[in-house]
Amino acid sequence: MFSFRRCGHRVAISLTKQYLPFAGLSRDSAAPCSPHFDVVVVGGGHAGTEAAAAAARCGSRTLLLTHRVDTIGQMSCNPSFGGIGKGHLMREVDALDGLCSRICDQSGVHYKVLNRRKGPAVWGLRAQIDRKLYKQNMQKEILNTPLLTVREGAVEDLILAEPEPEHTGKCRVSGVVLVDGSTVYAESVILTTGTFLRGMIVIGLEMHPAGRLGDQPSMGLAQTLERLGFVVGRLKTGTPPRIAKETINFSILNKQTPDNPSIPFSFVNETVWIKPEDQLPCYLTHTNPRVDKIVLENLHLNSHVKETTRGPRYCPSIESKVLRFPNRVHQVWLEPEGMDSDLIYPQGLSVTLPAELQEKMIMCIRGLENAKMTQPGYGVQYDYLDPRQITPSLETHLVQRLFFAGQINGTTGYEEAAAQGVIAGINASLRVSRKPPFIVSRTEGYIGVLIDDLTTLGTCEPYRMFTSRVEFRLSLRPDNADSRLTFRGYKEAGCVSQQRYERASWMKSSLEEGISVLKSIEFSSSKWKKLIPQASISTARSLPVRALDVLKYEEVDMELLAKAVPESLKKYTKCRELAERLKIEATYESVVIHQLQEIKEVQRDEALQLPKDLDYLTIRDVSLSHEVREKLHFSRPQTIGAASRIPGVTPAAIINLLRFVKTTQQRQGAMNKLPQTDEYLRDTDKLQEREL
Amino acid sequence: MWRELWTLAARAARGSCRLCTRQSSGAPAFGSGATIFALSSGQGRCGIAVIRTSGPASSHALQSLTAPRDLPPARSASLRLLSDPHTGEPLDRALVLWFPGPQSFTGEDCVEFHVHGGPAVVSGVLQALGSVPGLRPAEAGEFTRRAFAHGKLSLTEVEGLADLIHAETEAQRRQALRQLDGELGQLCHSWAETLTKALAHVEAYIDFGEDDNLEEGVLEQADSQVQGLVVSLDAHLRDARRGQRLRSGAHVVVTGPPNAGKSSLVNLLSQKPVSIVSPEPGTTRDVLEIPVDLAGFPALLSDTAGLREGVGPVEQEGVRRARERLEQADLILAVLDASDLASPSSCSFLDTVVALLGAQSQRLLLVLNKSDLLPSAGLGPGPNLPPHLLLSCLTREGLDGLLEALKKELAVVCGDPSTGPPLLTRARHRHHLQGCLDALGHYKQTRDLALAAEALRIARRHLTHLTGGGGTEEVLDIIFRDFCVGK
Repeated sequence: MFSFRRCGHRVAISLTKQYLPFAGLSRDSAAPCSPHFDVVVVGGGHAGTEAAAAAARCGSRTLLLTHRVDTIGQMSCNPSFGGIGKGHLMREVDALDGLCSRICDQSGVHYKVLNRRKGPAVWGLRAQIDRKLYKQNMQKEILNTPLLTVREGAVEDLILAEPEPEHTGKCRVSGVVLVDGSTVYAESVILTTGTFLRGMIVIGLEMHPAGRLGDQPSMGLAQTLERLGFVVGRLKTGTPPRIAKETINFSILNKQTPDNPSIPFSFVNETVWIKPEDQLPCYLTHTNPRVDKIVLENLHLNSHVKETTRGPRYCPSIESKVLRFPNRVHQVWLEPEGMDSDLIYPQGLSVTLPAELQEKMIMCIRGLENAKMTQPGYGVQYDYLDPRQITPSLETHLVQRLFFAGQINGTTGYEEAAAQGVIAGINASLRVSRKPPFIVSRTEGYIGVLIDDLTTLGTCEPYRMFTSRVEFRLSLRPDNADSRLTFRGYKEAGCVSQQRYERASWMKSSLEEGISVLKSIEFSSSKWKKLIPQASISTARSLPVRALDVLKYEEVDMELLAKAVPESLKKYTKCRELAERLKIEATYESVVIHQLQEIKEVQRDEALQLPKDLDYLTIRDVSLSHEVREKLHFSRPQTIGAASRIPGVTPAAIINLLRFVKTTQQRQGAMNKLPQTDEYLRDTDKLQEREL
Repeated sequence: MWRELWTLAARAARGSCRLCTRQSSGAPAFGSGATIFALSSGQGRCGIAVIRTSGPASSHALQSLTAPRDLPPARSASLRLLSDPHTGEPLDRALVLWFPGPQSFTGEDCVEFHVHGGPAVVSGVLQALGSVPGLRPAEAGEFTRRAFAHGKLSLTEVEGLADLIHAETEAQRRQALRQLDGELGQLCHSWAETLTKALAHVEAYIDFGEDDNLEEGVLEQADSQVQGLVVSLDAHLRDARRGQRLRSGAHVVVTGPPNAGKSSLVNLLSQKPVSIVSPEPGTTRDVLEIPVDLAGFPALLSDTAGLREGVGPVEQEGVRRARERLEQADLILAVLDASDLASPSSCSFLDTVVALLGAQSQRLLLVLNKSDLLPSAGLGPGPNLPPHLLLSCLTREGLDGLLEALKKELAVVCGDPSTGPPLLTRARHRHHLQGCLDALGHYKQTRDLALAAEALRIARRHLTHLTGGGGTEEVLDIIFRDFCVGK
């Protein structure tokens, strides 16, 4: 037997052999027909597909287990990807060679960059996606990924084994048990079960167990996790009804046309599959007091709204909008579900009233007077696991080699799920090959902010990405995600293709060259004014002005600049992406240099690693309050930086923790480990040196 | 034009932008980290005060204050005339030491200024340092953390220092409380509130402005709020009145139940009849402050109202002020009537106030007054009392023992540089208010909203250094409170 010493104060369970077919026993007794994989991914949603594909890209023999192969790649809520903050995540997923951005570019039916006029750091790449195409393309991709096997089956239980002594955790996962009793062995297991853990669908006063409309929830797995001692919480979310397209009177509504040209999500795509002129429009309509009335008069028929389970504040149901902001008109976007779909998705009308009242409410809305509802909106309530129970590599503290990604960690949104999926897939694979984990810091990407927030602070409502959560927003932009992550992905994780790596390298060196050329061109401001009369160049200063500074003016772009100085700048306008990125680099040049200094300070704290096996509840000779001990014990921060972000952990406590950093440093020194390369920063350092 | 703003950013300490618990900070203008400075000798009667800097701009700071002289030879004392780099006004003739890293206390470039200990000189040098680009006042424990980061501390040293940092943080907190007490504190908090709201609205406009129907004029509203702040901050910084004068010295607060003899003790220690003494409980209703010399240390002795509930509004206010003073105290003298220890007021004082302060590890001396009323000198007042001193203010018996104990406590309090003169806190204060104002100036100059929001973030970080708080959640809470956003 093994000891449960570290299983924590909340764990009051008795694991018996019944649940623990130990490795030693079960390997021997395992019938030769029990398959064995490096990585098993449970769930075929946005986190699961990314995780499985990433693990396979990293070279692991991977199995994707899903209830139904035909639901792989299903977009179960809104028919769109991206947006402000979310678009950033997609760019980062793509920089690590993830799937969703590329699949979207094959399936997008309405591209629109949000925040166009607010600065490129906060541009939100977004597109309406054809559900059917996305599913088809995703399934094609998944079913054709080398090293990746897909199998149908519902997972009921985990196979556990004795822990590896060199790691923390009270046991190790070594496979899964399916509902039919068969087993699959694995070196690492990733759970991406979304809303399926004790999922419950609510329409009006009716409730029935389901992970998604028409799909069975996972009950056995939820019980297993609870038995293991995971702290479980409950969240809710909702989705709007669907409306038959031909029953909507679009002629009286505001039409929104897509951007032309479309900006692709993926760095490897120059264009998107469906041309802008063939893309579909969206329409805007609004609620009115009659909608409010129906909602308010029928609250007694609406158990989802009355429940105390936390729902998202930013993706509120129409009921909560009416309740919290009475006497207001709310937007409803009518979004296409696909090229040949006859359905419309009314974004903003998430509702859980009884179906007949939903229809009545819809018909109050302008343009929808004769609308036919094809499927009612519904609420989902589901279990999530407090994400402070996982490490930044998404492995659980309790069970070695068990990873969680996606909604199971309390997030909402396809993009948030996909981002965690990639990281879990990479790390599950690295764990198998005994390599150090691949961790994205909050100084490196939105993915890092997402995971750091979850693992150090936890969440009590479905977590969504916003740009306001990101301290280094001006440095972590959609345009430069490749230079932040692709190189690390290629070198440390091996999850990036050679082709993408070369593309990113070319872009990086072209940018560096372009910037140094722009810095080297200097004229007096009056000469610039003559060269580019369109620009409002200030002639107040007598010092020579660099081309890079001229490029900072809002009305100047590379095209204009190259016309003024064609001999040295013409070549940088040939590639549209390069020209645009040079302009963005110029815009944020001085800011980014200074943010880089701040980033370095944060990273210094992140480099101070705490021992993983520190028992905060019992360590002596340290004046830590009981409250601080509890917090540290539960979140198990891996670095001084993470510890200092936990609310209530004081500067004095941090100093106290510093002494334990030494222990880790000494251990690591003994192991003679190489420091993690940080390509992005290292190379920018070089840039700066050159400048100085 | 942005170049300037980002040097401002350098002066805003990082970290509190997410969570207030973070302590180290600073985006520096040069090299690898911000350069920090602090007074590193304690207060008290000292002829020489030592001011220390650490970080890459140390040599620049030294040269700025001793211009146009070269750097002195490493690790040897040189006599230099210090002058303000902006006004050229001479500050002091001082010994300066230059310790190029890594052979220094923190492992970074360090400079020590040994100046004449008067408050005017120290304050002048601190202000001059604060005006050198790339320099900012150190946060609690920051020198230590840097030393640790550069491998300059052994394990045992770190252990010992943890307690020091705790004390340092606490002392800074109390110092800040004193500073923020009253009108100035209310001002700072209202500024921070306005700024957070303006930032939240700009952030909402960025994160939700496109898809959701925010009300008209969100940005315009934020603009006018920022404009108002600029006016108000600017007026404050240019106001020649400095508000209440903050007195130097250890803050020693006398507390206890009514009629325990607090005022008698204050009069005894200050050797003059400062407080009115009467046998009637509740005689002292306001806080009385007397600068005194206690066992050789400068101290500010406060007499406070006796702690009790359910009396008239004037005395209640006195009790409230008394409790507030306890929060800010460096050392507390808790006075009880030795002959009346069994009374409800004494017991409740012991159980609540003394126990609570003890739990917060506040420095406290328990004094049992009126020992002359005890039946016999041999008999102790009670078995279950925490460590205490017996005293009779009437006969002066026990006074020597009390002074001895005071000397011990004050040596610790005054030896700690961070309890230093309030002018250090004031320098910090001005530094952050000016930084906030400068950042707000840049907010208005930019058309890129992401850059504008960054200016507001920097401004807010400066303010939250004075007021605490400043997490992202605060911003999100305002966004979701004020707007119906989301799909």
